[in-house]
Amino acid sequence: MKMTLVTPEKKILTGAEVDSVLVPAYRGELNILDGHTPLVTTLDTGIMRWKLKGSDRFNYAVISWGYCEVYPNGIDILAETADLPEDISQTEAQTFIEKANKRLASESLSDSDYADLSRMIKRGEANLEITKYKN
Amino acid sequence: MASLKDIRAQIASTKNTQQITKALKLVSASKLRKAQNNIVNMRPYALSLRRVISDVAVTQKVAHPLMGQRKDVSKVLMVVLTSDRGLCGAFNTNINKFAEKYIKENKSRLEKLDFVFIGRKGLEYFQKRNVVPRESITALDKDISYNLASQVAGRLLKYFLSGEYDEVRLVYNEFKSAISQTVVCETLLPINLELSSFNDEINTARFSKDLVFEPTPEAIVEQLLVKHFDLQVYRSMSESVAAEHGARMTAMENASNNAKELINKLTLTYNKLRQEKITTELIEIVSGAEALK
Repeated sequence: MKMTLVTPEKKILTGAEVDSVLVPAYRGELNILDGHTPLVTTLDTGIMRWKLKGSDRFNYAVISWGYCEVYPNGIDILAETADLPEDISQTEAQTFIEKANKRLASESLSDSDYADLSRMIKRGEANLEITKYKN
Repeated sequence: MASLKDIRAQIASTKNTQQITKALKLVSASKLRKAQNNIVNMRPYALSLRRVISDVAVTQKVAHPLMGQRKDVSKVLMVVLTSDRGLCGAFNTNINKFAEKYIKENKSRLEKLDFVFIGRKGLEYFQKRNVVPRESITALDKDISYNLASQVAGRLLKYFLSGEYDEVRLVYNEFKSAISQTVVCETLLPINLELSSFNDEINTARFSKDLVFEPTPEAIVEQLLVKHFDLQVYRSMSESVAAEHGARMTAMENASNNAKELINKLTLTYNKLRQEKITTELIEIVSGAEALK
């Protein structure tokens, strides 16, 4: 099956052959293999992974909000952001989380700001997680 | 008549200016390439997004307040997109003129007309004319990011959904090519799915009936529309940045050419003067020698 993963700022995969895809879907982790039911779902912030055809290793990316459409012979994923392991620095992710947590604790935020900020923290934590896989 | 020394100084200073304009042109050229890349990179995402919105919304017959067309528009929020820096020809002037004309033509008709200025040049222009902005965003010096665009979009969305405005319009420079930009004024909100840009891509509904939606189609469309709007704002900002660099490149190219012409003219005058001076001196010497005979 073919997978396309694009964000507004870059295209990561377009029509690449994949064997298996795991995404953080609306109702929890979703594993998509060949012959999956056609499905439209939104994606949460978290780590997604995919295995290219013939490869025995997973590729990772941290996505933050996404839309995923599974059709009979492929998957389209539109993600708002996608951080690849090579773009992530561990120290940066750590300081980011600390700063965001401090803001969360000190400022009084509106609901939507709160949601945004917690999403950012989740993204930072996923980034941190992914740096562990690298080594 | 200017002395030789004066002309020499003038040539030197023109040369300096020419060097600066040449450098600016090169900088703009490389920034333009980057900006164009941004636009190209966004295209697959934009196309897919548009396709799925029209698929989901049309096949599932979903309506959403963001798409609702309003009959009488009396409260308008105008977003004016300019650059932070000058030296880019008529880039900002065109936008400001357009917005000013819009005020003149529509002020009496509309109950409420507010402005959001993105970019310093527009803000300064209208501040001098006593237009108080609803909001303004400057310091776009660095490359604009999707993140920034979605923040702006979020705020516009909030204004619109609270019922404060019936319509959100955007005026910006559309990037046609490196040498041509056109001022475009489009309606950002409500989102119009009837637009031709949506219809080109709908061939047939690819969705089968037993498709699983998680969450509901309504919730998905809502999220997609918000993302679509974010992307619209991002696209316009990217276009405007590309257009700005294009405009600056052309302006600097012209300036360099003018400087070159000026240097040629000055050099000609300089040489003429120099020759005249030599001739005069020779005549003086010769006539002096004649007189001594």
